[in-house]
Amino acid sequence: MADPHQLFDDTSSAQSRGYGAQRAPSGLGYPAPSASPQAAFLADPVSNMAMAYGSSLAAQGKELVDKNIDRFVPVTKLKYYFAVDTMYVGKKLGLLFFPYLHQDWEVQYQQDTPVAPRFDINAPDLYIPAMAFITYVLVAGLALGTQDRFSPDLLGLQASSALAWLTLEVLAILLSLYLVTVNTDLTTIDLVAFLGYKYVGMIGGVLMGLLFGKIGYYLVLGWCCVSIFVFMIRTLRLKILAEAAAEGVPVRGARNQLRMYLTMAVAAAQPLLMYWLTFHLVR
Amino acid sequence: MSNLGQFDSDFYQSNYTIDNQEQSSEDSNAYGHVYGSRKQQASEQPQPVFVPSEMLMSSGCEGQFFQPASNPDYYSQSSYVDSFDEEPPLLEELGINFDHIWQKTLTVLNPLKPADGSIMNETDLTGPILFCITLGATLLLAGKAQFGYVYGMSALGCLGIHTLLNLMSSSGASYGCVASVLGYCLLPMVLLSICAVFSSLQGTFGTVLALVIVGWCSLSASKIFSSALGMKGQQLLIAYPCALLYGLFALLTVF
Repeated sequence: MADPHQLFDDTSSAQSRGYGAQRAPSGLGYPAPSASPQAAFLADPVSNMAMAYGSSLAAQGKELVDKNIDRFVPVTKLKYYFAVDTMYVGKKLGLLFFPYLHQDWEVQYQQDTPVAPRFDINAPDLYIPAMAFITYVLVAGLALGTQDRFSPDLLGLQASSALAWLTLEVLAILLSLYLVTVNTDLTTIDLVAFLGYKYVGMIGGVLMGLLFGKIGYYLVLGWCCVSIFVFMIRTLRLKILAEAAAEGVPVRGARNQLRMYLTMAVAAAQPLLMYWLTFHLVR
Repeated sequence: MSNLGQFDSDFYQSNYTIDNQEQSSEDSNAYGHVYGSRKQQASEQPQPVFVPSEMLMSSGCEGQFFQPASNPDYYSQSSYVDSFDEEPPLLEELGINFDHIWQKTLTVLNPLKPADGSIMNETDLTGPILFCITLGATLLLAGKAQFGYVYGMSALGCLGIHTLLNLMSSSGASYGCVASVLGYCLLPMVLLSICAVFSSLQGTFGTVLALVIVGWCSLSASKIFSSALGMKGQQLLIAYPCALLYGLFALLTVF
């Protein structure tokens, strides 16, 4: 129909009806153009189609990324390790600093799957190690700053060196577990979680060192080293050693001895690394 | 015209079902009238709850569509108008609604009042960006031209908190939602940097003030997150990483 203000011929009524229906619910709106050339461009059916295609392509791309991310980073498994609440974190931190009175270290199961950390204090989680790692990097930056040795790339250096040591530890322990042929349900993420708990002690040591000097640093670090040693032994004993030995009954046999040495080696590596990663921060 | 009245009432309720009622034969006069009446209603129109809002600047962008004059099936109405006087004001087009921003700011700023979860239904990035620019400007007043650090840290922090929230909560949070909340809760940091302009904050008083402000920011952010995402007993756990992020901003402001 002859609309005197129409800027172009209406060629799109037929095809727009088709994908007008599917465009409308997609909810894309555009700001009104103030000049007619823009309107002509964007109202052009070809560019509308191009936009529809582009948006569907974007949606497909997002799906593809999500699917592939799920292949490399098991998001649902990770979600288990973050199902924590404040009570759990408080009690776990207390356990990390004072594990001597805790009696039952067994993780509770519920129909073959371990119970979420929220409900069982013995279950490993990734929230504490992740937050402890980030706090460690920031506290290291703070310590360097008070000694006037701070620069932003040093933060990156600290972070990457701590991460490199963690990776090395995980790989070494996985290798030794493989060599000793232990049948254990200790997954890699569990191992990362356990090895990440030492950062809590490191933070404590460095903060005390900042407040009270070297004496405070050595005292608190010493206490945290012993605590993490006991914590690791008691936790890993249940995972690595055979059932009988875990209950305290000494079982003779080369295999069990080897496993016990492995557990003690892992636990002993923790204080060493704690000292190695913090002593240069406290002068 | 009879169809015009029908058009008005339908327009107020929803923008998408209009095409059912529209006639295909309308002349430009009708569009002029429609546009005029639409402008009257624009002030009362509530912010629509917009699902794919991240695709555009902000959710306040009420579905304004432009279509050829005789293609009513496309969207509800044409807004590519012939006359310059009848188009909506710029702010309305961009979806920046200052009144709304102010209300959200007031809600965010009171950390002791329980927040309702519906505040996160509209992701509005205008307020946060405004606050970031204000923070950079006040830092500039104090002699530190650190816009780059402010933007970089806020981007990285948003990414980190978004990852953490998606892992910790049963219902995930979208990136725009996280950025919006974190940006709104940055306002007390702007107050801290205004104080830094007038007196150096490196003494005891400055440290205490910085700690208080960091606590305020992170408590309001974690309150909104935990109420919007339905996370029980995790408010302090969310507050801690937010406190780390705002602590970085405080370091930037103080030192």
